[in-house]
Amino acid sequence: MIALAVFRVAAYVRSHRAYQALLPILFVIAIVYASRAPRGSEAAALTDSAVLIIPFLAWAARGLLDTEPDEQRAISATGVGGGGREVTAGLLAALVTCAAFAALTLGCGLALGLSATPSREVVIAAVVLHALAVLAGVALGALTSRPIVPSPAYSIMALVAGFLAMLLLGVTPAYWLTVPVTAWMKAAGAGRLVAELPELTVISLVWCLVALGAYAWLRRGRP
Amino acid sequence: MGSISIVGFFSPTMRAALYRYSTMWLTEVSFRYRRRDRYVIEAAEAHLSPGDVVELTGPNGAGKSTLLRLLAGLTRPTSGAVTGRPAIVGYVPDRFPTGQSFTVAGYLRHMARVRGGARWEPWAERVGLDGFAGVRLGELSKGTAHKVGLVQALMAEPGLLVLDEPFAGLDRDTRDALPDIVTEVAARGGIVVASDHQGGMGAVDGLRLWSLRSARLVEHPPSSSPPSSFPPSPAEPKAAEDLVAVEVSVPARDLDGFLRRMRDDGYPARALTGEETT
Repeated sequence: MIALAVFRVAAYVRSHRAYQALLPILFVIAIVYASRAPRGSEAAALTDSAVLIIPFLAWAARGLLDTEPDEQRAISATGVGGGGREVTAGLLAALVTCAAFAALTLGCGLALGLSATPSREVVIAAVVLHALAVLAGVALGALTSRPIVPSPAYSIMALVAGFLAMLLLGVTPAYWLTVPVTAWMKAAGAGRLVAELPELTVISLVWCLVALGAYAWLRRGRP
Repeated sequence: MGSISIVGFFSPTMRAALYRYSTMWLTEVSFRYRRRDRYVIEAAEAHLSPGDVVELTGPNGAGKSTLLRLLAGLTRPTSGAVTGRPAIVGYVPDRFPTGQSFTVAGYLRHMARVRGGARWEPWAERVGLDGFAGVRLGELSKGTAHKVGLVQALMAEPGLLVLDEPFAGLDRDTRDALPDIVTEVAARGGIVVASDHQGGMGAVDGLRLWSLRSARLVEHPPSSSPPSSFPPSPAEPKAAEDLVAVEVSVPARDLDGFLRRMRDDGYPARALTGEETT
């Protein structure tokens, strides 16, 4: 399964699709951290970057999962010993790729984007939020990948709509009905990120796992 | 539906290998793509013993590729079950996906790692791919790309080898070599199922003949005479006066496949006797 994940990452990089995600992520980094975040707003700046890269992480995950032609997916499934392993290998490859993009974003933020060194608690919270962004991006990208949404036009619309739903639902009292990314930003802006992190993490994690489970279940009938 | 007992043909070593695999069963297997669609395959019943080689025929769109994917475990039946599938499956699609940014060697190296370190080089040499190691997949001809598909399926010694139109686009040397390769896979206990419009599997001893027609899987007797359970084809004329006789010359080795294709299409084809040709 690891070998298949390596194959898929290699195919993704060789196909140059990786750059389609890397370039907008670099753009987000440049926008968010162009002027160093002032002292006291480190948590807000790091949270903004975690939220804003989610659609591009989803784009990266979708791109990686769609790099393989459909028949290659069938060959891979027989090679690795079953469709379930093929799905797992694809998600693993997407997680590794998105984690690299998220680490780049967080690293740039910590090294270049802040006027003051953030506290240890804020750094840990930023790491957790970027990890949740990776999971959210992979889940959204997987649910809009070709086996689930064959039409590229509908797939891109679904990806954007999914992220907008996260943003809009997050400002309502029903923020717990999705990955509450707006609630992340509100908590960070109000200086309550560290205190509210456990609750936000649980809600976000549950929805990410539900979405990944839904993807795995849907793939049973969509090889 | 019967299978051919082949255990007696093997040496003790081969027989030991044979028993690694179990019989595979299709039990009331039906498949349709969507809930309100018609069934592509309906209530298919069959079993495949270790060493069986099956040629699957049927008109275009009959569901041959779907049945192959069900056998390979790539598609789940709508109802029924496929059980006893060997752990190692080799699958060769009818069109190898060349839209990948690898060279032949790079791709096969990756597939060998996926297969747990299988050796692909001897198979590449055997099907005549050794001169293409550095060529990008996208630059291969259809037949050469098909050989890459064959190598990735054969390298892991599959217990079930599923071939979708394996002879399409192959050069004559590989076409001639493929029946021997299939025989070897069967000799060590593997099951081989191939859809074939070319009649290229006719050279394989003990070949079982399946056909798919009107969503029904039918096994032909080994004599290759058409089964009585076939429904009348729309192409089949109703009255004797509508029939015309045509004479077609085909190479002797292609005769069985040619007759099968004609019968699959609903034409009552037969070979002329020696007296009739003189």
